[in-house]
Amino acid sequence: MYLDLLHALPHVLSLTNFLAVTIGVVAGIVVGALPGLSATMAISVLVPFTFGLEPLVALGLMAGIYNGAMYGGAIPAVLLRIPGTPAAVATTFDGYPMAQKGEGGFALQVAVVSSSIGGIASAFALMLLAPPLSKLTLLFGPAEVFWIAVFAMCSIIFMLGGNVVKGLISACFGVFVSVVGSDPIFGNDRYTFGYLELLDGINIVILLVGLYALPPVLDLLESPLKTDTANENLGTEPIWRTLPRMMRFWKTWLRGSLIGIWIGILPGAGGSMAAFMSYNEARRASKTPESWGHGEPEGVAAAEVANNADTASALIPALTLGIPGTSVAAVMLGGLLIHGLQPGPMLFRENPDIVFGFMWQFLFGAILLLFLGGSLATNSFAKLLKLPRPLLGSVIIVLMVIGVYSIHGRMFDVYLMLGFGAVGYVMDKLKFPLPPVVLGLILGAFAEENLRLSLRIGRGDWGILFANHTSQVLVALTIAVVFGPSLKRRYWDNRKSGAQG
Amino acid sequence: MSQNTPNRFLRPETLTAIGLIVVAAGFLIPTAALRPLSALLPAAMLIALIVLGAMLLISDQREAAKGEPAAAMTKAPKRVLAAFALIALYALGVDFIGFYPATAISVPLVAFAFGYRHPLGLALSTLIVLSAIWLIFSFAMYQEFPTGRLWSL
Repeated sequence: MYLDLLHALPHVLSLTNFLAVTIGVVAGIVVGALPGLSATMAISVLVPFTFGLEPLVALGLMAGIYNGAMYGGAIPAVLLRIPGTPAAVATTFDGYPMAQKGEGGFALQVAVVSSSIGGIASAFALMLLAPPLSKLTLLFGPAEVFWIAVFAMCSIIFMLGGNVVKGLISACFGVFVSVVGSDPIFGNDRYTFGYLELLDGINIVILLVGLYALPPVLDLLESPLKTDTANENLGTEPIWRTLPRMMRFWKTWLRGSLIGIWIGILPGAGGSMAAFMSYNEARRASKTPESWGHGEPEGVAAAEVANNADTASALIPALTLGIPGTSVAAVMLGGLLIHGLQPGPMLFRENPDIVFGFMWQFLFGAILLLFLGGSLATNSFAKLLKLPRPLLGSVIIVLMVIGVYSIHGRMFDVYLMLGFGAVGYVMDKLKFPLPPVVLGLILGAFAEENLRLSLRIGRGDWGILFANHTSQVLVALTIAVVFGPSLKRRYWDNRKSGAQG
Repeated sequence: MSQNTPNRFLRPETLTAIGLIVVAAGFLIPTAALRPLSALLPAAMLIALIVLGAMLLISDQREAAKGEPAAAMTKAPKRVLAAFALIALYALGVDFIGFYPATAISVPLVAFAFGYRHPLGLALSTLIVLSAIWLIFSFAMYQEFPTGRLWSL
């Protein structure tokens, strides 16, 4: 089972692949360091540019960006108390007080070492857990695949928390967008309204760029120009000299890695939840909890190790079942699809070099982070905070247009992207979750095809969807995911009111 | 789109829910012309969107009746609208006057309009962006960009 993993290693060790991961990590740190930009947005903008690249090179770029952005978010979190990414909120608690005490450089070194350790642990989890899970999914037929798609959508809606109605609206919207184009079986047009450009359906990249890249750009331009000024004195002590001071965090690194991996696997949860949980647990286990929040380096270590440990692990359900653990993983699924790689068991059978190579790239990305995010580089990245936001916004707009236009070489896609961008902005502001839209688009067509295939096999008998044990287990899991959170909440409310009474 | 809209029917969520119901109902018309199996999933999704839109509308109106403030949309609606209009204009510019001229105008214009007024910085950044795009996309990747519909008339 793990032999394929070793066979994939030589494919990854080429100069271009290595360069792709390196560029990805640097670009990720840059994006993460700029408040308002996220890994999701960076990968959405990047995906169309990877069309002409070898799949491993493209995936290496994405893996690098994901790893780099998770650390990059710590730079403004420590220096300005502005989390560069949502996952870096917990880093501000102790990182900023450390910077105020003149220990900003050390805080960023703790962050980079912890991020790297979290990323390495996560990559190992992906390598160890994904192959056996993919073997299990080989047992699935069309009916089971249909239920997997339903389960995936339900889990991301109901486990994401927040408003379930809004989550369902997002998912239905995504599924509806997936049916635009020619019918996969009858070949008749659906909702193309005479536009030939829509016959092949709506390319996922157009939706990704519109939903994930346009709203942050509008946010960048919405706030009046403000120059962020960070403390220039970071302290440039070499990282190898500060490493012995960090060794006492080993328990926090271990605990935070496990929390991050677990949260990454859970659909809907994300880096910010992992960082908060890890921070709280580390604080609870600390002998000096009173020092936390006043510049305790272990707090930075706890938050950063966990938010990086959920990166590769979020791809475990994504690669094997097509269920992304985080929104970045959902966007990465889109990246896989444009290279003709359909997530699921066949991915491991038909493209082992690519899928296992991708896992190695995650590991290399995490290791590279340690070298590329060192003290000298961190000082340079910190200067990025002075970049004027309106200028940055205007450059991102150009990149978005280039990316979407280059998919098919037509302006129609650019206008479509702007439409999705407007929808995405409203959804974002009204707190409609965006991952269900992407998942709906990815899984909608997939679910429809398998549902119709099952019905054909069963000669129109809907009972075929519940005919075998695997389907029944998946139906039960779907019901548990849908009703579980509300039943759990009701149970705790009853218990609380019982205790009060 | 302000935080305290006086009219309860102009609350952002209410307007979104109404828009959702209207659009989904509109899409049901072409759905009726599809074969039953072909219409199965889209019809299910559209009906679900109408039902969910109604639920969203009811819940938002209930909140309005309780006097709860509407969910905030933007801090500066005019700036957001201006930004979106400039992006749309840029797309139209790319289509009609060509990619490079539109980009040469758009990069400094957007940055200037939103507060970055340093002439040398604007000129330098526009030059760097255009050169980098030409070098990476046009020269190295042979990517062709729109040359402008106006010029081909």
